[in-house]
Amino acid sequence: MIAALLLLIPFLAGLLLVIVRPAQARPIALVTSLASLAVVLFAWISYTGGTVIHYEHDWVNAWGLRLVVGYDGVGLLMVILTGVVFPFIIGAGYGQVSDRPALFNGLLLFTQSFLFLVFLAQNALLFYIGYELTLIPVFLLLLSWGGAGRRAITVRFFIYTLVGGLSLLFGIIYLLVQSGGNGDLSALANLTLPASTQLWLFWALFLAFAIKLPIFPFHSWQPETYYMAPLQGTMVLGAVMLKMGLYGVYKLVFPMVPAGVEYWQTTVIALALIGAVYGGIIAFRQTDFKRLVAFSSLSHVGVLCAGLFAWNAYGISGSFYQAFAHAILVLGMLYLVGAMQERTGTTDMGAMGGLKGHAPRLAALFLLVLVNAVALPLTQSFVGEWLMFAGLWQVSGWLTLFALTTIVIGAIYMLYAYQRVMLGPDRANLSMADASTRDHLYLVPLIAVTLILGVYPGPILELVDAPVQQLLTSLSVH
Amino acid sequence: MSVLVLLSVLGVVLLYLGLFNNRNAIAGMGIAGLVGAFVLIAADRHLESPLFNGIIQFDTYARSFSLVMIVVTVLLFLFGIDYYAKVKENVAEQYALMVFSLIGGLLICSFTNLVVLFLGIEILSIPLYILAGGKRDSFRSGEAAFKYFLQGSFASGFLLMGLALIYGATASFDLAAIEAFSTALAGGRDMIFLLGLFLTIAGVAFKVAAVPFHFWSPDVYEGAPTLITAFMSTVVKTAAFAAFYRLIANLQLPGAVETMLVVMTICTLFLGNIVALRQTQFKRLMAYSSIAHTGFLLLAFLGADARTPEVLFYYLGTYALATVGLFIVLTLAKRAALGDENIRIFRGLFRSDPWIAVATLFMLLSLAGIPLTAGFVAKYRVFVIGLTQGYLWTTVVAVVMAIVGIYYYILVVREAFTAQDREGKPIVVAPLNWLVISICGAAVVVLGVMPGLLRM
Repeated sequence: MIAALLLLIPFLAGLLLVIVRPAQARPIALVTSLASLAVVLFAWISYTGGTVIHYEHDWVNAWGLRLVVGYDGVGLLMVILTGVVFPFIIGAGYGQVSDRPALFNGLLLFTQSFLFLVFLAQNALLFYIGYELTLIPVFLLLLSWGGAGRRAITVRFFIYTLVGGLSLLFGIIYLLVQSGGNGDLSALANLTLPASTQLWLFWALFLAFAIKLPIFPFHSWQPETYYMAPLQGTMVLGAVMLKMGLYGVYKLVFPMVPAGVEYWQTTVIALALIGAVYGGIIAFRQTDFKRLVAFSSLSHVGVLCAGLFAWNAYGISGSFYQAFAHAILVLGMLYLVGAMQERTGTTDMGAMGGLKGHAPRLAALFLLVLVNAVALPLTQSFVGEWLMFAGLWQVSGWLTLFALTTIVIGAIYMLYAYQRVMLGPDRANLSMADASTRDHLYLVPLIAVTLILGVYPGPILELVDAPVQQLLTSLSVH
Repeated sequence: MSVLVLLSVLGVVLLYLGLFNNRNAIAGMGIAGLVGAFVLIAADRHLESPLFNGIIQFDTYARSFSLVMIVVTVLLFLFGIDYYAKVKENVAEQYALMVFSLIGGLLICSFTNLVVLFLGIEILSIPLYILAGGKRDSFRSGEAAFKYFLQGSFASGFLLMGLALIYGATASFDLAAIEAFSTALAGGRDMIFLLGLFLTIAGVAFKVAAVPFHFWSPDVYEGAPTLITAFMSTVVKTAAFAAFYRLIANLQLPGAVETMLVVMTICTLFLGNIVALRQTQFKRLMAYSSIAHTGFLLLAFLGADARTPEVLFYYLGTYALATVGLFIVLTLAKRAALGDENIRIFRGLFRSDPWIAVATLFMLLSLAGIPLTAGFVAKYRVFVIGLTQGYLWTTVVAVVMAIVGIYYYILVVREAFTAQDREGKPIVVAPLNWLVISICGAAVVVLGVMPGLLRM
């Protein structure tokens, strides 16, 4: 029931918006996403642990595709994340210029529905189908509402992701053939493949997620796409879509090819951290606020991936915890980008400066969002990063040291950005409005979530802890 | 048998109807006749019984492919009503020739004797030579017809020589006898038989446009009238593949022939997809995409998998649906752009008719093989066959090429969803065309979600 509601509420509402194109599209979309959120919260309250299968139905049995939807703790966390994030994404549209809002919000709702499918799927092919489907509404969003150069950038984004997607499909088919046509994730996890197969199969499966996240050197689609996308599109990409990558690694790579993971672990961590440092350094050099957010996201994702591949309880839990924090952070940062653009008409930081004098409340909100970005203690990011570094420490001290530099770099570029936008001489010379009720309504809940979960991380860590432990024990059995 | 008679009579009747020059009556008569043929085949109770002294057998296999061909021809005739509305003369002949060609198609998917294979291929091809040159005042159309005729004749020559050699080795034209011969031969060498197989396969490979026998297809696709291009890439392709598989399904293929098929598959996949990347003319793009799909279909041939007929049937059926719809959209867009065929002409489609744009999106995604469309299911099943039969590296090539394939379809999607910036009229969709496009667009999604609906 819960699964059906999660999949159908956004899908049907999206269909309604796209076909009927009512004038009040945005409120309808917002209410729909709040309804989904309510369902998600209900699912959270009624969750008692273990893997819950909500619905099981044969679809095309002959080739291993079954409609199995449910979640374990990590899956539920991702569902919660999707549920929490979408009202904010749709709400962010209120500050934006709206061109054909019905279509736009309809596509957003489709994306949400497909994302739910990804996080609920307990069958490898079903997962793949959801994974590819999310791409289509996002592709159309970027193509029709993106900024300059969108035609070339969108196609590049699409191709990159599909390269990964088909390689994933190849890996899944290979697994299916090995398992004799049973595509359920629980069945695939029981396969024991020879180590030599796992070495290459690892990349067939992981490539998709490496591109989706993205980690270095598969990242070259990301900054331009984030920059060019409409604000809400960037939010979808940064807050939720890249989490499909983390979740996919947890769900499809770890249980299926443990020997492959063991072999490539250090390589992946090293690549991810190179990306993290590189993204951070480039972010520092940006003069455009939105580009800065794009590169900072690249940097954060590198650390997320490194933490995940630490492959122990600290690392994996930390990574998923941080994934949640990162989603909240991305929403906050991008909303601020939008708020600045609304007021100054640009995202160029060179044209801003000294805005604190005009908009002290906005500056305060900005700073509060920022403390999460630099992982100050008592914020959500601090918990996540601490866990990840503790996990990495068990792998290698040197890698941890390398990873820690990203915190320093992160602090530098974030505070530097704040300085350039808010402090200093008043270059813009605009008489601009301070934070409005809408800005408060948007940012205060985000900041509250960050701080509450920074002090009291229990509820989320509890969700993640049990399945991660279970995964790790099942692997040591192999 | 009755269906062959019915269709032959239908062709003749259509020719006579041409005397009255009432186009709607001709198309209506053609569609009625085809529906009749459909019912005859679907309701045939004498399945499996050999006909004409055992040279034809309308088994489940033949029946399924015949039904697909007839349905697609009906869709094309529906499109023809609008397509031929402005043509002054010889409309009846076009319909009649398509019906004759279809008869050839039915023959080659039901043959059990190699003579029928040859006759069927000729009956299929000769009307096409004429149809490709259907626009008599167009230079390109004449060029297409001539090229097709010349190269087709060569292929027929190959085929005939191959059949003669096979006869020389086995002393029979009967497919079952040849299969028995190949089984008895198993492992041994018989140069005459081997050469015969090579040449026969080359002759059939020409019809499915497999590399290196593909050279005719881009030029012919481009030059022929769009309706005929659609006919060639759907009905003719389906028939040729059905014949190809029927020919080799139960043969114990010698190692050299297997290698030849693998090489042909890889080359076809590679060339079709890579060259398609550089195309900006939509019809040429579709020609190379058709070659690329030939490659995927050939992959399903490799190894003797019991699921192959089913997969071929599904693949060809859904491919035909998507292709027919796209060619109709092309015709409409081309009309609005005053004869241009560059993929740019799709610009503004979404603004002028959102539903048609969405249907086009579905069809393109299906050709590209994106999940929940029929094209995905088809490709997926081909990959499964490839992997189960142990052709790991060929499957890897196919997957990589599927990625490349997505790129050129996405370029067309991008055009359809970009605002119009060209000269010319907006794209206008007549009700009947709207219906056919909608059927095709909806079908690829429905069949993608419920693949069980399209079964042999």
